[in-house]
Amino acid sequence: MKKKKQKQFTSHWYYYLVLIFGLTVFIPLKMQAQSTTTTSGIVIDATGDPLIGVSVTVKGKTIGTITDVNGKFTINIPSEQSERSVLVVSYIGYKSQEIEIGKQRLIKIELAEESIALDELVVIGYGSVKKKDLTGSLSSVNGDAITERKTTQISQALQGAMSGVSVTRTSGSPDASTNIKIRGITTIGDSSPLIIVDGISVDNIDDINPNDVENITVLKDAASASIYGSRAAAGVILITTKRAKTDQFNVEYNFETGIEKPTKLPDYVNAQRYMQMSNELGWNDAGNGTNKYPTYPNDIVDNYFNLNREDPNSYPITDWTKLIMKSYAPRQSHMLRITAGSQKIKTSASIVYDNIEGLYDQKSFQRFTSRVNNDLTINKYISARVDVNFKRTTSNSPTTDPMYFSRMASPIYAGVWSDGRLANGKDGANAYGIVKYGGTSTNWYTQFAGQIGLDVKPFDGLKLTANFSPSYNFTKIKTFQKAVPWYTAEDESVLGGYLSGATTTNLYEERNDNYRTTLQFLANYTKSIKDHSFDILAGFEEYYAFNENLTASREQYLLTSFPYLNQGPATYRDNAGSAWENAYQSFFGRIMYNYKKRYLFQANIRYDGSSRFYTDYRWGAFPSASLGWVLSEESFMKDVTPISFLKLRASYGSLGNERIGNYPYQATIQFSQALFYQGNNVVSQQTAAQQKYAIQNISWETTETFDVGLDANFLNNRLRFTGDYYKKNTKDMLLAIQIPMFVGFENPDQNTGKMWTEGWEFDLGWHDKVGQLNYSITANLSDARSKMGYLGGTEFLGDQIKKQGSEFNEWYGYNALGIYQTKEQLDNSAKTSNSVKVGDIWYKDISGPDGVPDGKISPEYDRVLLGGSLPRFQGGGTINFEYKGIDFGLVFQGVGKQLARLTPNMVKPLVDNWGNIPAIIDGNYWSYYNTEEQNLSAKYPRLSLANQSNNYVMSDFWLFDGSYFRIKNISLGYSLPKQILQKIQVQNLRIFGSISDCFSVNKFPKGWDPENGSSSYPITSSFIAGISVKF
Amino acid sequence: MKYFNYILTACCLFLVISCVDLDISPLSEGSTENWNSTEEEVVMSLNDLYKSDFWITASDYWTDDLMYRAQLTEINGGTMTSESTQSNSIWQLSYKAISRANFLIATIGRANLSKEVEAKYIAEAHFMRACMYSRLIFYFGDVVYYENPISLEETDGMGRTDKNIILQKIYDDFDYAILHLPKSYASSELNRATKGAAYAFKARVALHMSDWNTVKNAAWDCMQLGVYKLHNNFGNLFLVTTRNADESIFIVPRSLVYNLSINGNDIVNVISRNAGGYGVEDPTWELFCSFLCTDGLPIDESPLFNPREPFKNRDPRCSYTIVQFGSEHLGFIYDPNPNALKVLNTTTNLMVTNNDTRTNNQYASWNALIWKKGVDKTWLDNGKKTDPDKIYIRYADVLLMYAEAKIELNEIDQSVLDAMNDVRARAYSVNKSNISSYPAITTQNQSELRKILHIERRMEFAREGLRYYDLIRWRLAEKTLNLPVYGLLDPTPMKLLANQGLWFFPETPTVDEDGIADFSGLLNKGYVKKLIDRKFDKERQYLFPIPAKEVMISQGIITQNPNY
Repeated sequence: MKKKKQKQFTSHWYYYLVLIFGLTVFIPLKMQAQSTTTTSGIVIDATGDPLIGVSVTVKGKTIGTITDVNGKFTINIPSEQSERSVLVVSYIGYKSQEIEIGKQRLIKIELAEESIALDELVVIGYGSVKKKDLTGSLSSVNGDAITERKTTQISQALQGAMSGVSVTRTSGSPDASTNIKIRGITTIGDSSPLIIVDGISVDNIDDINPNDVENITVLKDAASASIYGSRAAAGVILITTKRAKTDQFNVEYNFETGIEKPTKLPDYVNAQRYMQMSNELGWNDAGNGTNKYPTYPNDIVDNYFNLNREDPNSYPITDWTKLIMKSYAPRQSHMLRITAGSQKIKTSASIVYDNIEGLYDQKSFQRFTSRVNNDLTINKYISARVDVNFKRTTSNSPTTDPMYFSRMASPIYAGVWSDGRLANGKDGANAYGIVKYGGTSTNWYTQFAGQIGLDVKPFDGLKLTANFSPSYNFTKIKTFQKAVPWYTAEDESVLGGYLSGATTTNLYEERNDNYRTTLQFLANYTKSIKDHSFDILAGFEEYYAFNENLTASREQYLLTSFPYLNQGPATYRDNAGSAWENAYQSFFGRIMYNYKKRYLFQANIRYDGSSRFYTDYRWGAFPSASLGWVLSEESFMKDVTPISFLKLRASYGSLGNERIGNYPYQATIQFSQALFYQGNNVVSQQTAAQQKYAIQNISWETTETFDVGLDANFLNNRLRFTGDYYKKNTKDMLLAIQIPMFVGFENPDQNTGKMWTEGWEFDLGWHDKVGQLNYSITANLSDARSKMGYLGGTEFLGDQIKKQGSEFNEWYGYNALGIYQTKEQLDNSAKTSNSVKVGDIWYKDISGPDGVPDGKISPEYDRVLLGGSLPRFQGGGTINFEYKGIDFGLVFQGVGKQLARLTPNMVKPLVDNWGNIPAIIDGNYWSYYNTEEQNLSAKYPRLSLANQSNNYVMSDFWLFDGSYFRIKNISLGYSLPKQILQKIQVQNLRIFGSISDCFSVNKFPKGWDPENGSSSYPITSSFIAGISVKF
Repeated sequence: MKYFNYILTACCLFLVISCVDLDISPLSEGSTENWNSTEEEVVMSLNDLYKSDFWITASDYWTDDLMYRAQLTEINGGTMTSESTQSNSIWQLSYKAISRANFLIATIGRANLSKEVEAKYIAEAHFMRACMYSRLIFYFGDVVYYENPISLEETDGMGRTDKNIILQKIYDDFDYAILHLPKSYASSELNRATKGAAYAFKARVALHMSDWNTVKNAAWDCMQLGVYKLHNNFGNLFLVTTRNADESIFIVPRSLVYNLSINGNDIVNVISRNAGGYGVEDPTWELFCSFLCTDGLPIDESPLFNPREPFKNRDPRCSYTIVQFGSEHLGFIYDPNPNALKVLNTTTNLMVTNNDTRTNNQYASWNALIWKKGVDKTWLDNGKKTDPDKIYIRYADVLLMYAEAKIELNEIDQSVLDAMNDVRARAYSVNKSNISSYPAITTQNQSELRKILHIERRMEFAREGLRYYDLIRWRLAEKTLNLPVYGLLDPTPMKLLANQGLWFFPETPTVDEDGIADFSGLLNKGYVKKLIDRKFDKERQYLFPIPAKEVMISQGIITQNPNY
């Protein structure tokens, strides 16, 4: 206990330290005056246009400036040094120049554009490297490409952006996150990548505001990622945030406003058709006797529209989607960034506010983020970084998610009475009323995090770094569920009752409090001796995470206006709480070597310990090595002119994974409650039981990755190609495989199981300039396929399976032979039960207990692998044009192959026994009212609920081609000419418009977006306009 | 030297801050290594077996006692497969409880309790384990049997054990429990399992396996304890107001305060539409017609039965079970008559729109019947949540089990008649000896008594989850679960029928020797509507399917039940 207290104290101490440093962000800088000589000049580009904001510094001195809106600069140099001084002129995207001043007092400098980015630094684990010196496989995307997508969350913007990075989503909700996978699936467990922001691991990629991103780099192969060892098996995403550069002084403001609109919404049959089809369903289930109108009398069905006109309260027609959903939702955001960089202090500070409304009442999302990054140069030896970031989001939603209801509810119930008052829907089931009057659930998330880092350079080449980063996260959830009364249609004073799910007013509160601390010590030594270059890194890192949560509630509030616990009755109160923690320690090292920039070698090792394993099985070592050969540096390649750069890469390494709960090796006793009589009073007693079987000697699972790649640039670096082939081999996989149910425990985690993933990917890009037209086209495509090896068992997921020889989450079910058309077919075939009738789905009898067809369709013996469920051939690309200040961008993305399933919610009539009927099945199902020809071509089985377990069970009947191609984003912008802007002291002014997710090609049934979950918030198209000003 | 200091400082920082400890144990959970080493821990482990999750009953919705409009379950619809969640959850829950009981029995020695106390706790664990295995062999027949904690390795090759062998083990467990459990608990003690409960559950498993001698003896021993007696009023035995009744032998208590209640659909599906419910989970006409008349005769034989006033002159349990037309129910007069467009709200004394007639509301009970048993106004309180006892086994069951065993053994004597008449007289709220005020049973003919007993059980235990067990063990399921579900005609024709004076039943249906009413005559005359055909496959459905996962994981060593 004592130790724990101390730990908390130290963490808090750093908390304050970070706070104090954070507050000292703008320290004015003074320079001493002395006798100086003034030199001035102008910097222009190849076309003669002035370049604004170009950094002009004196080499080896702390004197510098930047060019003004006319491209002009003035610099004062101590007189005695001026003639010997050298000016360094640098500008992003242009080649740097060094100019000896001599006696010149007015200098004209023309900067040439840097045509390729081979010299650019690429972020890698615990460091950076020149792109041409890379030996591993990685992809990166810069911050502009992220913000250009105009998504609220970063993760959504990564869709189709890089090869080998798969981003899937099922909802378009503004606070919805996505599922990111790098190079397919590596493990059965958690296959989500490790996210590193400015060197520190974070829980959620979406904690970063897209506007703050400088660069996102994805480490894909083992050699790149293995410096992160244990947690990197599923790949690593490195994010760097924007920092100020020397002599950069800007104020930047960005405003965007627009709307979100559902891409598609499914259709349902109208009220009359609903009743006709319900009758047919009832008639089918009652054995097709004489009564063909078992549910709705014929006269009512036939006259329903007239009856509705006469008496809409007794014969309602409700379009629930229209009633609940708005046709669009507005959104807007403001971003302010101040950048100030002197020689000693460089600060970048941003504040971003986003507000996104929802497509129904009570739904909204607000986010406020702020990030201040400081770089301090203390003296020749010491420099420091002090970063602080803050995030606060408020997500509101109704107390009941109406999406499922708005799709399934049938049209013949009233959402509102004819006079507009709230109606009772289906016997009190009315999600519209709950959304509108049933209170709100609000989730406030507050994050306060930072980093303090110290770099010491005791002598040339050696850099020692210490970083400490705490992150404090607080979640507060308050769900105030209000009772919603409804009054009868006839009399607004007669209480009819309360909507179901809203019969009493209840308050549920939740608090989650967690913190993470990361501590790093790094030593980096670089040295070049003639043609040999070394870069050596050694490091230590430790990480600690603590989580505690608390829930409390009271029910049956008398008043609906006081959402606080002490306003509720004490009788119906409840509370709960729990906590968990975990920790890592790691030692790691890396050596990079190259000879003549031609032969490259890199080796990494990481030695990791995790609290998730028992002492004896806790530590694991994860080595890797990679090689690169820059062929274009060889003399025999020098003359091959079309090729400007050519490099072959190969790497091999192992990575670990252990994300399986917090105490997997310990059999634990979990607590609960049971009720007893004591005399005639009911009392609650604590109970205890081991629920999970535990295996003590579990340890790391390892993934070995082999990768070969090729980087090639052609035609003066205008055409660029990067391609990779890889194979991943995961063993000792931590699996909670199905153990016999009769053991009586939940499935334990065990080191069993192997799987292989094989894939390839490439990126292709063309950049060129024709006169004043700059344009570029990029494209990427990748594929990954996972096969399960011996698993020591099987994992069942209902309609998907993982077992030896299957793909990861392969569809698993019956082989359908179509729909039974005749009694003969029915009588002469195996069935799931004797209740199957003509018009139901017919399955193939594959096997039985004796290994041969047994005349029965049984789950044990007749289900087979039906094909992979994961997306294949995923790709994306961009097209950009820029001409005289007009810029145009287009982003596309797609999935080339995917077996998708028509889920029961999409095709089943009368879901939950009273639900709606999807319009897509009307006219396309097997029916006694059809002709034989019509039935032969029926796409759906007969209408039946009694036999739904036969018809809607997983089989290949419901699988279809789910591939799609989608235009992710189109943007058009215009930057005002600099000549005009100069007069108003503005550096840059751009107005723009952007459309996202506007168009897709796919084979999904009408009304379904290929990415939309069957009852989740719609995928939306965004239409955005905005303005961006930079002073 | 300057940089040396920096390195030194950095190293010191390293040492000071590095305090992460990788030996982390759960913060809010206990450890199994040393669990059960104190009496408190042993009791907590035992308590776990009393959780309501483990005490599930069969659903009346699977049977011919309850209908849900034109919908069926996978059991009375005949579509059950080995992927059924129903069979999976019974299998899984039972084994969870068994493994926890085994763990307790194996580790209780850690607590160093006195022999006497230890024996009592072990007896509770044996009791629980026996109840769980009883349930398993009833549903699945032969099942996997083990009585010690098992490791994963030991499960390899484990198959099914003959249910008769398991039955003997169950008897042994119950006998141990009977020996060591107390007869009752003081009012300051927690009511845990008792000797009587062990006798009663032993009788029940023996009944399910038709081991009549064991039923007879266990039930008789339970009766001789003198602890239990029939509650004086059948109607209020099931209400919230009657707590921990003397008739209840094993109860899972409910409590609103502790968040264990009947709520949601379990309330609204049952209560009437006027009271804010759906009236959709309803007693069937077959159940309604099975209640005898006050002369002890079935409705088609008794001159007292009037199909126009079908609740008149019936066994009192009829209107304790089903809401009588025209009676006050949940604040309204319940009247499903097609012409009763307005009814009295007895709270406000105003006539209001009657949503319990299908003329006004198409979804009002499709056969005009709704449940009364256990339902009272507390069902409308607390946002429609209520907390009556969940009675798992009660004394009337023990009496009728005893009678059934003696009848089947053909050892019919006065004790059989006494047991049955006790139950029947209580329904009439009279003394058994007062034979003029109720139709006392007097026959000693085995087949007549058997028939009476079957009907008596149906009248007594409706909506208590026992009908399914009876249908299975009497092999009656293949008959009654292949009959259609009947209901009222649609509102318009129903109104025409009523206007001819044919409400409620246009004519009396016949009732066969099993007490099952036959509506096909009424159907042929167009008086009633067939809602849906039930389906029960006698070739397979007398046993549940073994969960498919179990068969697949064991590579077929655990065999599937026939015809699944």
